[in-house]
Amino acid sequence: MLLLALTDGGSLGRHYIAMFEATQNVMLKPTETWREALLDTRVMDLFFTVHRKIREDSDMAQDSLQCLAQLASMHGPVFPDEGAQVSYLAHLVEGLLSMINGIEIEDSEAMGISNIISNLITMFPRTCLTALPSDLFTSFINCLTLLTCSFGRSAALEEVLDKDDMVYMEAYDKLLESWLTLVQDEEHFPRGCFVQPAIQVFNSYIQCHLAAPDGTRNLSVNGISSHEEEEINELQEDDRELFCDQLSSIGMLGRVAADHCIPLLTNLLEDRVTRLHGQLQRTQQHLMATSDPESMDRKVLDDLYEDIHWLILVSGYVLADDCQGETPLIPSEVMEFSIKHSTEVDINTTLQILGSPGEKASSIPGCNRTDSVIRLLSAVLRTSEVESRATRASLTGLLSPQMGKDIMWFLRRWAKTYLLVDEKLYEQISIPLITAFGADTEGAQWIVGYLLEKVINNLSVWSSEPGLANDTVELLVTLVEKRERANIVVQCEGWWSLAKQFASRSPPLHLLSSPVQRTLMKALVLGGFAHMDSDAKQQYWAEVLHPLQQRFLNLINQENFAQISQQEAVKQEIIATLEALCGIAEATQIDNVVQLFSFLMDFLSSCIGLMEVYSNTPETINLIIEVFVEVAHKQICYLGEAKCMKLYEACLTLLQVYAKNNQNRKRCDAGAEEEQYQDLLLIMELLTNLLSKEFIDFSDTDEVFRNQDQGTPASSRPVSAADVVLYGVNIVLPLMSQDLLKFPSLCNQYYKLITFICEIFPEKIPQLPEELFKSLMFSLELGMTSMSSEVSQLCLEALSPLAEQCAKNQEKDTPLFIATRHFLKLVFDMLVLQKHNTEMTVAAGEALYTLVCLHQAEYSELVEALLSSQRDAVIYQRLADAFNKLTASSSPPTMDRKQKVAFLKSLEEFVSNVGGLLCVK
Amino acid sequence: MTEKTRDFNMADEDFATVSSGASETYPQQCSALRKNGFVMLKGHPCKIVDMTTSKTGKHGHAKVHLVGLDIFNQKKYEDLCPSTHNMEVPNVTRKDYQFLDLDSGYLSLLEDNGTTREDLKLLENEIGKEIKTKFENGESFVVTVLKACGEEQVVATKVNN
Repeated sequence: MLLLALTDGGSLGRHYIAMFEATQNVMLKPTETWREALLDTRVMDLFFTVHRKIREDSDMAQDSLQCLAQLASMHGPVFPDEGAQVSYLAHLVEGLLSMINGIEIEDSEAMGISNIISNLITMFPRTCLTALPSDLFTSFINCLTLLTCSFGRSAALEEVLDKDDMVYMEAYDKLLESWLTLVQDEEHFPRGCFVQPAIQVFNSYIQCHLAAPDGTRNLSVNGISSHEEEEINELQEDDRELFCDQLSSIGMLGRVAADHCIPLLTNLLEDRVTRLHGQLQRTQQHLMATSDPESMDRKVLDDLYEDIHWLILVSGYVLADDCQGETPLIPSEVMEFSIKHSTEVDINTTLQILGSPGEKASSIPGCNRTDSVIRLLSAVLRTSEVESRATRASLTGLLSPQMGKDIMWFLRRWAKTYLLVDEKLYEQISIPLITAFGADTEGAQWIVGYLLEKVINNLSVWSSEPGLANDTVELLVTLVEKRERANIVVQCEGWWSLAKQFASRSPPLHLLSSPVQRTLMKALVLGGFAHMDSDAKQQYWAEVLHPLQQRFLNLINQENFAQISQQEAVKQEIIATLEALCGIAEATQIDNVVQLFSFLMDFLSSCIGLMEVYSNTPETINLIIEVFVEVAHKQICYLGEAKCMKLYEACLTLLQVYAKNNQNRKRCDAGAEEEQYQDLLLIMELLTNLLSKEFIDFSDTDEVFRNQDQGTPASSRPVSAADVVLYGVNIVLPLMSQDLLKFPSLCNQYYKLITFICEIFPEKIPQLPEELFKSLMFSLELGMTSMSSEVSQLCLEALSPLAEQCAKNQEKDTPLFIATRHFLKLVFDMLVLQKHNTEMTVAAGEALYTLVCLHQAEYSELVEALLSSQRDAVIYQRLADAFNKLTASSSPPTMDRKQKVAFLKSLEEFVSNVGGLLCVK
Repeated sequence: MTEKTRDFNMADEDFATVSSGASETYPQQCSALRKNGFVMLKGHPCKIVDMTTSKTGKHGHAKVHLVGLDIFNQKKYEDLCPSTHNMEVPNVTRKDYQFLDLDSGYLSLLEDNGTTREDLKLLENEIGKEIKTKFENGESFVVTVLKACGEEQVVATKVNN
């Protein structure tokens, strides 16, 4: 902050300080008046000199590097033209290089130096970078390469030592991010200028993640390998998420240098898979010879698993992007790479290697003339095959579920991008890729069959591994969620037997955890919408959905159902049905919603009957509400008015029955509080989902037009969302207590709901019963003043619509009018007197403005009271001026958007001016 | 009837349920258990209030950490086991009775089919106090009786609407 001290003088300084506190890294955008000072090369030299002198002191070094990082981010009107910007940048880069090259970097400098580099790469236009003298640019890129590799090694060392403070890891992340920025704009730079650097950074990443002798993983400085098994809980993220930023950058660099990186990954992976196969065989022999399986040393296996783990992750990131929703494209670099070599490639051999995952790739004649992209997939399939064979040889206990997850993850990512690759989406297409994976190819059919078989094998072998089972069903969903892929899937026999097996609840699928079973149900339903002839389709539904319905109806229609309802087998059947319904709802897509909605609606009415039968069985009640939540969540946005009405009615009945059964009920069994909390949470989710119809509506408007009472306003519909939601709130509010609000998820959901209500139905608020109104207002106040900033923001957002509602009614002295007056004071104090984070200023500002419009006299009183309490004349004057300026653009304040915007703008200035005067930190 | 004979009777009945066919527990693979469900922990029928998985080392196999509350006395029990293991799950049933009377510490309850039972003792817990107050106030209410492993207990009351 030295630089800030030097440059302070205008309002700029304080504003920057506030932003610094919030984000730590702010880009410097000084005004023209700074030109002379900041473009003087001696100023920058001074900062480099200062750093050189104080760098041994870690605290001071961080500050001086922070200043340099600021200088590296400089942009805006301070530069008179691009020439000035280029020479400034050149001077900066020279200074940086001479600083780095002359020293051995201290731990405390790593982050600062990466910030400088990251800032200059982010902030300076590509044209400035390319306008640098070419040897300076090359030196810079070389320096960046060496630095990245070196920080990467130090980061790996930090991991081995399990340090709390991972400075190199953070610095490495920052540099990799900068590479990504550079490489994404590759077309601006000289052709191929990043290939060599990419190879070096990529190699060093791979090296740090492989075990000795190829790599250096887990090696400490003195070369001794450390191998500790720590306990990993389910909350810890998988490496693929934890390191996704790093992996994205490395994946991108791998594409830039595809010629080197893709064959490298293939070789390494094929080698590890061969070794894994051998090691598993040796271990099996060892196990047969020994009576004590515990004596096995797993070190060799675990090292191989860890190598394969990283190789698969990197391969996944090189070959494909992670896309949600849209169809991800094959990265252009990968496509070009495959095209470039396609003339040297023998397609038949390539397909042969692809189609024989059980054989060693190198044993197939002509194996060096294969397409490398297909070969890398083949290497992962070989890994998968070794795993499957080990499970068949009862060696599951020796396998790594993590590796299993990696394989599923990779195949899913791969399938989304490459399977049935669509020529139309590409300007140019690789013949090997289209021959192997295109639509109507044997290759595509074979691979779908292979993946399906793998999924089925995994679901029976790995039911006890929740993560792996989940990745497996997610792969299955990927295979069927797109019609074209599903069309092939449903031609496989395996698919039908999976569907039958699941529908009959026969082992081993019933061993899967309930979330996995839900997703499996979802996949089976999605598959049902694939293209089949009508006989096949009828047969499919007869085998998947109808047994569910039939069994359920047979059960609940038994005369003595109420008596047998507590039998274990009956309860299990009911729970399995409810779980399946959630899965079916999850399968909803715009083109199947009609069928699924009517199927599910039949169940929803039966579910209300179940609410009565199981009124004393909270586990079941909880699950019934969840079914409603899921149906509303997945379907309401597609429903036309008539169907919507049906759903509203069903939800309203559900809530009524729930309320009736829980009124005057006292429970003291184990977990009672937690279960009640879960019920409330689900009910609020349900209400929020119903409300979401007001924001997101994809329903076919035709249906609305066909409806006879199209002209009637929302309020005269038989049941409106507002009725259901307010009825629900009536149930929920009395049950809410400050204790329950201590559950963060419940608290957030609750405030999300009441803010929605205020925003969507402000006109309903004044009509609420007195008690309900009071608790709503109390909730808002509580949320604003003593909850998290997220909740506080939600409450502030609820205030504007309420104040606008009052203004519209023009009735004074209504309870709402009085409540808003109280809120005026709260928001005023919050903005003027209390320390609050800057994100909140906007929400608070909007609320304040509408409240001021409504209560102008009270606002003036508040200002007067504050001013008159000031003893210091100077402060008094500054405050008075600030308040005048604040409302100058909007007096008298009216509910006009333009004025409001002007007010918000002045408010920002007001807060940075006055904040410091009154805030008691 | 004296208290002693009642107790004896109750024990007798317990014995009868144990040997009357339907087993009190059944096995289930650990990974298929669910939160809010039931499990036997250290020989006690428990409600699962927390269920998490962990593994030793990145390539280890999943272990399930179960935390449960004894459904009768709410004592906390924990267990850690490989997720492939089978755990015993108690058959838990709930039944509602109309409350009729409270006599020398025993509840008199009416079943749906018209029969009454008088073998359940009023416990000195929160729900026990609740029942006593309601009884003294002359309220009409239903009690929910939870049953597992041959033991029974009132766990909830609901005033008739």
